[in-house]
Amino acid sequence: MTATTEAPVRHRTPRARGVVLPPAARLLRIELRRSTMPWILPVIAALFWFDSYRFGAGTPPYWVLRTFWNMGQGRTFMDFAPFVAGVAAWIGSRDGRRRTADLVAGAVWPRWGAQLVAWAAAAIWAVGGYLVFVCVMFAVYAHQQSLQGSPPWWWVAVGAAAVTAFTAAGFAVGAFFPSRFAAPVAAFGAFLAVIVSSQNGFGDTSGWPLILPNNANGNYQPISGIFYPYLPDLPIARIMFLAGIAVAALGLLGLPARAGGAWLRRAAVVVTMAGLAAAGTASVLVRTARLTPHGMVIPALHDAANDRPIRYTPVCGHAAGVPVCLNPAYRRYLAEVAADLRPVLAEVAGLPGAPVRVAQVAGRYASGMFEDQVDQAGVWVTISGSPPVLQLPLDVFNTLPSATPGSAGQFDQELPLLSVHEFVAGSGGGTAAQQAVQAALLAHGGIPFAAQPQALEIFGLPNWAGEDLLGLAPAGGPSPSPRGPVYAAARRFAGLPAAARHAWLAAHLAALRSGQLTLGQLP
Amino acid sequence: MNVEISDLTRRFGRTHAVAGVSLQAGAGVFGLLGPNGAGKTTLLRMMATVIPPSSGKLRLLGRDPGSYGPRREIRRRVGYLPQNLGYYPGFTVAEFVEYFALLKDMPSRQVPRAVAAAVEQVGLGDKARSRLRTLSGGMLRRAGIAQAIVNQPELLLLDEPTAGLDPEQRVTFRALLRDLGERATVIVSTHLVEDVGAACGEVALMDAGKIVFRGTPDELTARGEGSGAAGDAPLERGYSAVLATARSATAVRS
Repeated sequence: MTATTEAPVRHRTPRARGVVLPPAARLLRIELRRSTMPWILPVIAALFWFDSYRFGAGTPPYWVLRTFWNMGQGRTFMDFAPFVAGVAAWIGSRDGRRRTADLVAGAVWPRWGAQLVAWAAAAIWAVGGYLVFVCVMFAVYAHQQSLQGSPPWWWVAVGAAAVTAFTAAGFAVGAFFPSRFAAPVAAFGAFLAVIVSSQNGFGDTSGWPLILPNNANGNYQPISGIFYPYLPDLPIARIMFLAGIAVAALGLLGLPARAGGAWLRRAAVVVTMAGLAAAGTASVLVRTARLTPHGMVIPALHDAANDRPIRYTPVCGHAAGVPVCLNPAYRRYLAEVAADLRPVLAEVAGLPGAPVRVAQVAGRYASGMFEDQVDQAGVWVTISGSPPVLQLPLDVFNTLPSATPGSAGQFDQELPLLSVHEFVAGSGGGTAAQQAVQAALLAHGGIPFAAQPQALEIFGLPNWAGEDLLGLAPAGGPSPSPRGPVYAAARRFAGLPAAARHAWLAAHLAALRSGQLTLGQLP
Repeated sequence: MNVEISDLTRRFGRTHAVAGVSLQAGAGVFGLLGPNGAGKTTLLRMMATVIPPSSGKLRLLGRDPGSYGPRREIRRRVGYLPQNLGYYPGFTVAEFVEYFALLKDMPSRQVPRAVAAAVEQVGLGDKARSRLRTLSGGMLRRAGIAQAIVNQPELLLLDEPTAGLDPEQRVTFRALLRDLGERATVIVSTHLVEDVGAACGEVALMDAGKIVFRGTPDELTARGEGSGAAGDAPLERGYSAVLATARSATAVRS
């Protein structure tokens, strides 16, 4: 002690340097340096890699599809939530566990202030880690995988708010129940919360469950970022909700008598109430949400400017015999779309109502997740306008060629099948004569008879068309065979010379489309 | 007077930890002696404004700690070493001291120099960058003392400051106490009567929540002379004699 200082001793103690940080910043610097939160980040990184990054790897190269699981379904923040809540609880319980409460409570700074600084350091690490992981993932997507569209930044912000909220809630648990069990209890509680939120997210498409941060139903549209901007309405409501939870949890820390003076505790009451009010308001707002063709709209939060479609100059090709024009984001599919459509377009060329152009359009969505939306959307491919244009909502095709094995082959069948069906039968299942002509045209369009029942089953056309197509795609059996009177008529029709088929269609197409022809009337 | 206490009590449920203490103390080192459970730690915690009294009057540094503003001013000028010193194992010695210097609202510009000085004063200069988890019990105690004195307190409250210190460290610590007592009021709670004899100008002995003796160490020593009380050193015999007298008087009253 004083006696030991007589001889000069070389050591390194803090010295005043150029820039003098304010006390709060200095406290934060110490807390950041000594926070335990960074220690958990490698574990989260491993989980993040397996659970978030790899999950979307097999989807087509569009931001909205590639990030559906990790942003739309909230897997990224689910990977973080239990861990950051647990570590935050560990930090929050520090004064109780380490018996420093007397020292902190007897200081000039209110204990609440010291706790907020410790929490802020933990939150900065947690949210910083989240953002770094997401940005690295997005950088890989953008530079190595050349994703199209635009990144879902609003959903990244929701995830950051969720990580903040779980950090705050975990810290509060630790502060109020300071024991070694606080961390595992908080982590398990957070895990339960995200699981319950996720399960509700699969089932509920309206009402208060939309506030749950990993409910992707109806709000993560495949057209977002390509045809329309990501609508920020729901993300704003969720950020408000999660921020409210965080603020309320932090406000609770200021309520105990030891937290600070009377005025400070009154402020803590106000903060807590404000947080609860924000969370409650957000929950009420989402009950007014409605799904529009391009996203979830909350009237009180909606900005009409976000309804404007994203302007683009289509890319066109002529390899199909007619112009095929796609959104530039789908440029990589242009050749394949043209190649798939060329045989069937050649079959119907010159016929009344035959498309003279193919154009990509934005898909329409009703509710639910992608598959449900597709089922309920009814018609995928339409032929409309004068002159007729074949309109392709490629964004809702489940089978866009991707890294998934077999997806390219599925797409090559799905596109002609849906196009021919629309040309011959329209939106219904079709009469037996229509089904037979469709089967014959598909046989010449690249889908042999033997493959048609399987293709119909894969693409869900029987479900879509009700019972009408059961004759074409019998249920059950690994590979149903094309039998029965419909296929017999189809084989006869397909066996005609091309000129004869074309001539017959030119003469009878109107009657065929109107459902007036029977199988027996086919040549 | 830096410390003015009048009929101060503190209850925990049915237990009267402090049962009517009156005390005044000015600059100098003031020793607080007493057996386990006498109420010393509770008295120091009230003086450190960590807990409020149940009743009685407490004025510290001429201010009433019952009000928020004066309490902040008192805390700015008080140093406190708790009996059970808590610490953050991941912090270095310098960070630990700096952390509490900042919580005591020291001017930011003064903090680095004050931290370096406090760490130096307790002889931990060469350990300033060592993590607390790597220090021995005695070194931790010295780190605790450093955080207590970093703000150059006008009132320094030390609860068992020499617990865990080796004899050499205790000798140097007593010198530090005497040095601090020249410009501040230092109240030292301890079981070790030799610390009191060596460093304190005045001493109070507590038992069952009350002060049963107050005087100089020499006066306490005198109480033991010829009393036949147990103890190896004169001051210990005085300590034992005062306690025996107080307890017999209590027994007679009850």
